Amino acid sequence: MTGPRRPSARVQLAAVFRKEIRQTVRDRRMMFLLVAAPLLQTLVFGFAVDFTVDRVPVVVVDRDGTDLSRLHARRLLADGTLRRVGAGADLAEAAPDATRGPAEAEAALDEGDAAAAVIVPPRFGAELLAGRSPEVQVVIDGTDPNRSTVAGATASRYFGEVAEDLARARLAAAGRTPPAQLALAPRILYNPTLQSPPYMIPGIAALLLLVVTTIVTAMGLAREREMGTLEQVLVTPIRPTVLLFGKIAPYVVIGFVDVLLLVAAGIWVFGVPLRGPLSALFVGTLLYLLTTLGVGLLISTISRTQQQSFLAGFLFVLPAVLLSGVMSPIRAMPGWLQAITWVNPVRHYAEVARSCLLRGAGFGDLAVPLAALALIGGAVFALAVVRFRTRLG
Amino acid sequence: MNDRLRRSLVRVGAMASKETLHVLRDPRTLVLALVMPVLMLFLFGFGVSFDLDRVPVAIADADRTPASRELVRRLTGARELVSAGEADPADADRLFRRGEAAAVLVVPSGYGAQVARRERITLQLLADGSDVVVANQVLAKADALVRAESRRLAGVDLARVDPPLQVKLWTRYNPAGRSALFMVPGLAAYILAISAVLLTALTVAGEWERGSMEQLFASPVGRLEIVLGKLAPYLVLGMLELLLVVAFGAAVFDVPVRGSLALFLVVGFFFLVGMLGQGLLISVVTKNQLVATQAGTMSSLLPSLLLSGMVFPIENMPPALQLLSRVVPARYLVHALRGILLKGNGLAALWPDLLALIAFAVAVLALATARFQRRLA
Amino acid sequence: MTVAPAIEARGLTRRFGAFTAVDGVTFEVAPGEIFGYLGANGAGKSTTIRMLNGLLAPTSGAARVAGHDVARAPAAVKASIGYMSQKFSLYLDLPVRENVAFFGGAYGLAGAALARRADEVLARAELRDVGDVTTGELPGGLRQRLALACAILHRPDVVFLDEPTAGVDPLARRGFWRIIRDLSRDGTTVFVTTHYLDEAEYCARIGLMADGKLVALDTPAGLKRTWVPEDVLVARGRGLREAAAALGGRPGVKNLVPFGAGLHLRVAPGTLRPEDAARLLTAAGAADVTVEQAEPSLEDVFLAVVGNAARGAKGPTP
Repeated sequence: MTGPRRPSARVQLAAVFRKEIRQTVRDRRMMFLLVAAPLLQTLVFGFAVDFTVDRVPVVVVDRDGTDLSRLHARRLLADGTLRRVGAGADLAEAAPDATRGPAEAEAALDEGDAAAAVIVPPRFGAELLAGRSPEVQVVIDGTDPNRSTVAGATASRYFGEVAEDLARARLAAAGRTPPAQLALAPRILYNPTLQSPPYMIPGIAALLLLVVTTIVTAMGLAREREMGTLEQVLVTPIRPTVLLFGKIAPYVVIGFVDVLLLVAAGIWVFGVPLRGPLSALFVGTLLYLLTTLGVGLLISTISRTQQQSFLAGFLFVLPAVLLSGVMSPIRAMPGWLQAITWVNPVRHYAEVARSCLLRGAGFGDLAVPLAALALIGGAVFALAVVRFRTRLG
Repeated sequence: MNDRLRRSLVRVGAMASKETLHVLRDPRTLVLALVMPVLMLFLFGFGVSFDLDRVPVAIADADRTPASRELVRRLTGARELVSAGEADPADADRLFRRGEAAAVLVVPSGYGAQVARRERITLQLLADGSDVVVANQVLAKADALVRAESRRLAGVDLARVDPPLQVKLWTRYNPAGRSALFMVPGLAAYILAISAVLLTALTVAGEWERGSMEQLFASPVGRLEIVLGKLAPYLVLGMLELLLVVAFGAAVFDVPVRGSLALFLVVGFFFLVGMLGQGLLISVVTKNQLVATQAGTMSSLLPSLLLSGMVFPIENMPPALQLLSRVVPARYLVHALRGILLKGNGLAALWPDLLALIAFAVAVLALATARFQRRLA
Repeated sequence: MTVAPAIEARGLTRRFGAFTAVDGVTFEVAPGEIFGYLGANGAGKSTTIRMLNGLLAPTSGAARVAGHDVARAPAAVKASIGYMSQKFSLYLDLPVRENVAFFGGAYGLAGAALARRADEVLARAELRDVGDVTTGELPGGLRQRLALACAILHRPDVVFLDEPTAGVDPLARRGFWRIIRDLSRDGTTVFVTTHYLDEAEYCARIGLMADGKLVALDTPAGLKRTWVPEDVLVARGRGLREAAAALGGRPGVKNLVPFGAGLHLRVAPGTLRPEDAARLLTAAGAADVTVEQAEPSLEDVFLAVVGNAARGAKGPTP
C-alpha cells in the first residue's frame, strides 16, 4: 500500500477561504450586518456622541428685576454654555419676578426641565452699588456629574470675574496699583475647536471592528460544531492551523473594508483629518484583527453552543469596550484598572487610530501600541491553535 | 370560556417550564447572565469616569527664575496636573504623538520681572486636542489653577477689600459629583437591553435552527402562548438582573433609592417586556443565531449605550437623532430610573416615560406575534 | 501472498470517565470487504468509528487503518479514509458543487484534477443535474448521496459510513447500496453501521456490538448458523394465539412468539415438522392453518445476541 501524500497546505487554505467567503457572501443579511451596519452606526454615533457640554438648561429666577441684574443674567448666558428655559426664556427683558423663588426652581429641577437654577436675590443691584455683598445662589442638579461640574464652574467663574474686576476697580479708586494678573492663553493642536467626531470616530471604528469580528468568529466554529460539519472537516487531513487561518481570512478582508469605509466616512462627513501614514494604520488594523479574531477562535474552542460562545464573546467585548479609553479617558480610571487596560487590544488600536489620523503619528511614535498589539495577538492566536489541537485528541 | 383560558394557561405554563429547564440545564448561560451585570457594574462604577486626576503636563519654562519655578511648583503640585518633565515648545508634537503629555505649559521669559512690575502676564498652554475629554479637562483645570495663582499673587492687596459679590453653589441629588450614581441607572438599562434582546433572540433562533419550532407548531399550543411561554423565564431572569444591579449599586457605590421601589419594578417590567419582544421579533425574522446576534447587537446594544442619554446628553444631539432617540426604549428607562433612584420622583413626574415603555412593549409584541403567524401560512 | 488488512483493531478501548464506551474490541477487515457493524443505540458503534478515523484517541489498545497507526499517524489515516457521519454534515447553505470543491480542497485536490474528479463522483452519485442547487434544498436521499460523494472524492482506501441510510426511503436505500457495492468491487474497503438488518445482508461480514463489546463476528450465514441453530417455523391462520398453548409444553419447542397475525416458533432441529405443528394447532382450535419452515433472519440473530448479552452470557446458548 502506498503511503498517501500529505495534501498541500496552500490548496487546503484556498479551499477553506473560498468556502468561508462563499458562505458569508451568499447570506445577504450577514453581509449587510458586517459591512453596511457598521457604516450606518458610525454615521449615527458620529452625530450622537458629543462631549461638549453646552446649552445646559437653566432657570433664571431674577427676584431683583433691575437693569443691573438683567445685564448680569444676560452676560452669564452669553457664551452658550447655559441656555435659559422656563418663564422669561423668550423675553430678553423679563418682568420683575419677585414671586418666583427657590421652591419653583427646585420643582423645575425635579421634573428635569432644567439642570440648574440661578437665583438673583431681591435688592441685588442696590446692594452691589452700595458696596455690600449680595449673594447669588446657584442650585444644580448633580445627577450628571459632568454637566453639573460645567454648569457650576460657568456660574462661579462668571461671578468670580465680576467680583475680581469690581475689587480691582475699587482698589484703583482708592488710589492704589492693582497687583499682577495672570491669564491663560490656550492653543489647541490637532482639533482646535475640540469637535467630538474626529476624536470619537477612530474609537468607534475600533469598537465596531471588535463587535463584528470577535463574535462572528466565536460563533462560527461553534455553529459548525452544532451543525456537525466540524466533525466532517476534522476527519479530512486538514491542518488545524490551516483551518483556523482559512476561517479568519475572510473576516480580515471584511475588517479592512470596514476600516476603509469608516475612515472615508469620517473624513468626508465629519472632517476627520488624515495626517499620518496610512501604512501605519493598516499595520495596526492587521495586528488588531489578529487579536480580535484570535479571541473569537479561542472562545469557540471553549464553548459548545453558539449561545455559549456568544455570551462568552460578550463577556470579553463589554469590558474591552469600557476599558478601552474610547468612551472615557483611561487616565480617569483607578491605577489597578489602568494596569489591566494594557492587555486590552482595543485600547492600543484606538490609540493607533487616533494618533495616526489626528496627530499624524508614524511607526516610530506608535512603536509601543503596535508592539503591544503584536504581542497580544500572537499570544492569543497561539493559544487558540493549541487549544484547538488538543480538543481533537 | 373559563375552561379555555385555564387550558391556555396550562400550555403557557408548560412552555415556560420547558424553557426554564433549558436555562437551568445550561449553567454557563445562567452564570454568565447573572455574572455579567455584576462585572459590568464594577467596571462602569470604577472604570467610566470623566474626572481626570494627575494629567501629565510638560513644562517649558523660558524664565527660570525663582518666581517662575514657584509658579510651576504651584500649578503641578496639586492633584490635578503633574509635571511630565521639562520640554521645548517645539517638542509638543512628538510628546503628544507618543502620549507622553497631554499639554505643554509655556512660561514666558521675563515672567519674574513682570510679576514684580505688577503687569498683566499671559501664560501659554499648548493642548493636545485629539483627545477631547482630556483636553477639556486640562483647559478647565489649568484655567482654574492659573486664576487661583493670580489671586494668590494679588493676595494681600485684594484681601483688604470686602468681597463685592458672593456666589453660593448648591448641588442637589449627587453633591459629591460621583459618576457611579449617574451611571448605575443607565447601566441597568444597558444590561437589560443586552441580555433580554440577545438571549431571547438566540434561544428562539436556535429553536428554528434545530427544527424544534416546527414541532411546537404541530402541537395545539397557540402562537401567543408560545410567545408568552418563551418569554416568561427570561422575564424573571431579567427582573433578577435588575434587582441585582440596584442591590450592588446600593451596596458598593451607595446609590440611593429615594423613590418608590414598586414604581421602579413596574417601569423595569415594561421595559423588559419590550426588550424581550424585540429579541423575539429579531429571531422570528432572522431564524439564524449568527444573524440574530449581529442584528441584536446593532439594534439594541449600541443604541441603548449611545442614544439613551446614559452617557451622552440627548439635548446635545442633532434634532434628527433626538427624534430617533424617542424610539429607543432605554431612553425612557434611563430617565425614569434616575428620577426614581436619585431624585425620588413619583408617577406624577414619570408617567410619560411609563406610557412610552408600555406603548413600545405592546407594539413590538404585537408585531412579533403577527410575524410569527405569517411565517406559517 | 497475504494481503495486509485494511482495518485492524487490537483491544481497542475507550473510556469516558467511569463509562466504558468501547471495551477491548479486536477485529480485522480485508481490503475491498464490506464490513457491517451492528448494535443497539449506544452500543459503541460510533465511538469505534471515531477512534478508527482519528477523531478520538483510544484509551488503550491499538488500531491500524490503511496501514497507518491511528494513534501515531492520524494525519496519514485521515488522508486515506473517507467518512460519512451519522448526522448529515455538509454545508447546507452552499451549492452542491461548492461542497464538493471544499472537501476536495481539504483533501488537497485542486484545479483540473479537482474538476475531473468532482464530475466523476457527481456522476456516480447521479447528482450532476443538481450541481448548482443549494444543498439544503435537496431531499434526504440526494443529500446522503452527496455526503457519500464528498467522502470518496479523494479515492480513499477505506470508507467509514455511520448509518448512511437513516431516514431514507427504501428505493433510495437500494440505490445507495448499489454505489457501496460498486465501491467495494473497485477495491475500496467499506466499514458501515446500520439499523436496517435487511441491509446488513449485503455485507460480507458483520460485527455485532453490545455494551461496548464485540460479541459476534462472522458472515451473515455463519451468524445465523451459530446463533439461531433451531428450525424456525412460521404459522399462519385464525385463532392461533388461543391455540398456541397447545405447543408451548412440547419438548423441543424453545421459543414461541406471536409475530403479526402469525406465530414464530423456534424448535430444536428435527423435533417438530411443519405438518405436525399445523395439525396440533388445528386440533387446539385454530382454523386455516399453514406452517412453513423459514430461514432465520438477521433480526433473529440480533435479538438472540442482544438478549444473550443482556443476560451476561458469552457466546450463543446451546
